[in-house]
Amino acid sequence: MWDAALIALERFANPLHMGMLMAGVLAGTVIGILPGLGGIACVAILLPFIYTLDVNTAMILLVGSLAVVHTSDTITSVLIGTPGSAAAAATILDGHPLAKQGQAARALSAAFLSSMIGGLIGALFLTLSLPIARPLVLLFGSPELLMLCVLGLSFAGFLTGGAPLKGGLSACLGLLLGSVGAAPADAVNRYTFDQLYLLDGIPLVGVALGIFGIAEIVDLLAKGGQIAERISLGHGWLQGIKDVMQHWGIVVRGSLIGVWAGILPGIGATAGSWMAYGHVVAMARDRESFGKGDIRGVIAPESANNSVEAGDFIPTLLFSVPGGAPAAIMLGALFFYGIQPGPRMVQENLDLIFTIIWSFAIANTIGAALCLFLSPALARLTWVPFVQLAPAIVVTIFFGAFQSSEQFGDIYAMLGLGLMGWLMKQLGWPRAPFLVGFVLTKPTEQYLWLSISRYDFEWLLRPGVIVLGLLLLASIIWSVWEKRGQKKVPAEEPAEGAAVLGKAPSILFTFSILIVSAAALYEARTFPYLGAIFPMAATIPAVFMAATQLAFDLRTSSTAPGPETRAKIRTALGHFVSLLVFLLLILFFGFGIALAFCTFVFLYGVARMRWFRALIYTGSLLAAVQLMGWLLGLHWPQGILFG
Amino acid sequence: MGQIHFKAKLPVHRWLAVGALLIGLATQAFGAAPYYEGKTIEVIIPFPVAGGSDIWIRTIAPYLEKNIPGSPKFNFRNIGGGRGIPGMMEFALKAKPDGHMVLVSSATNYFPVLVGDKAAKYDFRQWKPLLVNPVGGVMYASPVSGVKRVEDLAKAKNLIYGGISAIGLDLIPLISLELLELDARGVLGFSGRGHARIAFERGETNLDYQTTPAYNATVLPLIKEGKAIPLMTFGQLDDQGNIVRDPAVPDLPTVPEVYEKLKGKKPSGKFWDTYKIFMPSGFAVQKILWIKAEAPAEALRLFYAAADRLEKDKEFLTKTDKILGGYPLLRGDRLEKTIQQAFQIDAETQRFVREWVSKKYRVKFD
Repeated sequence: MWDAALIALERFANPLHMGMLMAGVLAGTVIGILPGLGGIACVAILLPFIYTLDVNTAMILLVGSLAVVHTSDTITSVLIGTPGSAAAAATILDGHPLAKQGQAARALSAAFLSSMIGGLIGALFLTLSLPIARPLVLLFGSPELLMLCVLGLSFAGFLTGGAPLKGGLSACLGLLLGSVGAAPADAVNRYTFDQLYLLDGIPLVGVALGIFGIAEIVDLLAKGGQIAERISLGHGWLQGIKDVMQHWGIVVRGSLIGVWAGILPGIGATAGSWMAYGHVVAMARDRESFGKGDIRGVIAPESANNSVEAGDFIPTLLFSVPGGAPAAIMLGALFFYGIQPGPRMVQENLDLIFTIIWSFAIANTIGAALCLFLSPALARLTWVPFVQLAPAIVVTIFFGAFQSSEQFGDIYAMLGLGLMGWLMKQLGWPRAPFLVGFVLTKPTEQYLWLSISRYDFEWLLRPGVIVLGLLLLASIIWSVWEKRGQKKVPAEEPAEGAAVLGKAPSILFTFSILIVSAAALYEARTFPYLGAIFPMAATIPAVFMAATQLAFDLRTSSTAPGPETRAKIRTALGHFVSLLVFLLLILFFGFGIALAFCTFVFLYGVARMRWFRALIYTGSLLAAVQLMGWLLGLHWPQGILFG
Repeated sequence: MGQIHFKAKLPVHRWLAVGALLIGLATQAFGAAPYYEGKTIEVIIPFPVAGGSDIWIRTIAPYLEKNIPGSPKFNFRNIGGGRGIPGMMEFALKAKPDGHMVLVSSATNYFPVLVGDKAAKYDFRQWKPLLVNPVGGVMYASPVSGVKRVEDLAKAKNLIYGGISAIGLDLIPLISLELLELDARGVLGFSGRGHARIAFERGETNLDYQTTPAYNATVLPLIKEGKAIPLMTFGQLDDQGNIVRDPAVPDLPTVPEVYEKLKGKKPSGKFWDTYKIFMPSGFAVQKILWIKAEAPAEALRLFYAAADRLEKDKEFLTKTDKILGGYPLLRGDRLEKTIQQAFQIDAETQRFVREWVSKKYRVKFD
């Protein structure tokens, strides 16, 4: 085994291979930073380039880019509060507040370092597990995988912050949104309203970008000014490194959670990073600082999301079953070279496996170093008036959301969820449980379905299920016990964010949720029994919780928002309208014209830039998007009137 | 254009037209620009990147570029989701008759038409097949189920087949189970064939099928270890449209052969009718590259000529062997009748299939 490892390592002495690795790292870093574009986009974009390369070089390029996506996506999450990729949403919760406090450099360096260590631990684990990987994967049957998903869902409970009722509701809404589309086994289409677009459900990228990205951008715009006060960067990045060393236990645990999430089919990077975040909150003795800029909340998900990719390689290479979407594309690339991964891969292509592992480890290190090197400069971005950054960010978000399936539906969904995310933020509803619920719906329901249709209810008696069930029970009891001891509970949103909008909108929002849940419940009665379990499990508690919440809302004393808040709300709603206008213009005139027009008008009219600077900005943005589209073979949304 | 002038206009124009025609002929004779010279052919792929059909076309495209005169460039557009329907509709609505847009399709795109899904508003009769690639499927069982040879199937109890969806490719193995009257049921909801195979290895299911390339790479090792027993293939079509043994796995009997072995008579009945209708589009003519029927004959001819050249191209054959799964890349015109037949279903069989999957696998049609 070890000589194959050495043969593979020798490949990197070849300047071509090293150059490919660097190219991959650079591509991955850039794609990671761009909001919404993550691992899938990365591999999909590089795929056309590999058809002229040999298999080792191609894998070096692909793996090199994949290894750093989840390192650099942190930058966007921390600085702008917009997920650089769906998997980086968990980092926002504590990373972005840190940036707002002027500690962006600290958050970034801690994130990069834990990403790197997570990736290396993942690579090491991957190497060590090669001989025992098959029994490891076969250890878990559908019922055990179901229990793991439920365990992951229970973490949503820890992320509800100071508002357990709102948090629970938020998780239920996530589950409900996740059950839109064809149910597993195609038995029934749920909540699709005869829309083809909804058949496959709403893509994760659109949900993450909307609920966190659009919401945060509008909020920042409405607040005005820059993200952070201009204070000395100081030794922020050194502090970040110290933080990681101090919390090394979290790094190791986070990485191992990530590797497991990668190995087990159907979990993926996003769920993995949320599980790592949830576990650190669940295990912490002092929880009140989470969500307000606790460095532990940055370290845990970051160490997990890189190791997930390493874990992903195990089912991909040894079973020919991709652990996640990027791995599926890698699998496709291997097919292209006539390599069909499977049990024989360890005997026949061991050096290729090691090439992949080495690429992953080396790219991880280079990528983290590159990002670390860039972080002081990037942290300065938080000093730029946000209104000047916004057009570029919005344009890339729209572009990114459109790429996942070339359907306008993704953009509608993103804007709709953006408005919802913004309302949730203003009204003090935690958004993290929503995303956790959404992400875990598919695998949970699938494994529930498989468990019941294979074992009926005997699956409940399997030893693995009982052990995991006890673990679940213990974690719930422990959390209740912990809560009794301390009055204060963590809040995702800063306290001043709660119920900013006042009483009437609060009631209205809760009331709409009640109506939606009740309608969804009513609709669920027509579904066949297995297809109905999930919508029922989400909507029945949702209706009760919404009713209770409504009672609370009605009882709270009415505090009318001050004139300043009202002005802020008006600005925010204005920005939503302009996003809608941007969308309409794209629909009619295509992306290029809409981009040019909206960017210029916004910069000139709202950002009060001088006209020629606005013109230069618009021109460069247009050129950059054009170049990106041409270089990477991406497609622009086309308009009805102009192609 | 020259011809229209020739017929309709004054003598002066006639001379001009004759001149133009002559120049046209001359340039043709002296190796003038071939139809696709410097052109880009847009390939619509109604699936996400790196699915089976995506890999298939991306692998053969560079060879087509080389073998079509004028070396056109292929440009790929993946329009995934919605059971492939948005991608199919994009081609149906946007493709012009100039042959600059082609479409890749697979079983996912045929079954909605066959089961009468109203959302699938595309009509294969308006297109012509350029290239066709068959795919094969092999069924195997776990020895734990008591099946040691294919003959044991008849008395085997409680066989469990793992699949993805009753109205996807799994329909064919599921129909086979009914046709052979086995004591078997399908557990559906796996997210891919690979996941179903892992469940087989875990012992959650004891009956499975894989496409031929996946079978060779992932199931043959299991067979060697004694953890799987190969049973049968779904068969392929011969030139007359009869179901024959799969040339890539010639040692295994086909489903109808196994029927004869178990029952001592030729297969017949409703399930056999269904099998005959669904098997070709699921396997025998699974991957098809289409062009609009109104495309210039020249465009079609160039593709067929390229297919002929590739048939003898050693490099192509060895390099793409694994992707093509051990099956030849066929000219579309040779199979046109078979293909158009494969998408025809009589109302009675359609009603039968819909009722059967609704009842047995609780599929709800809108």
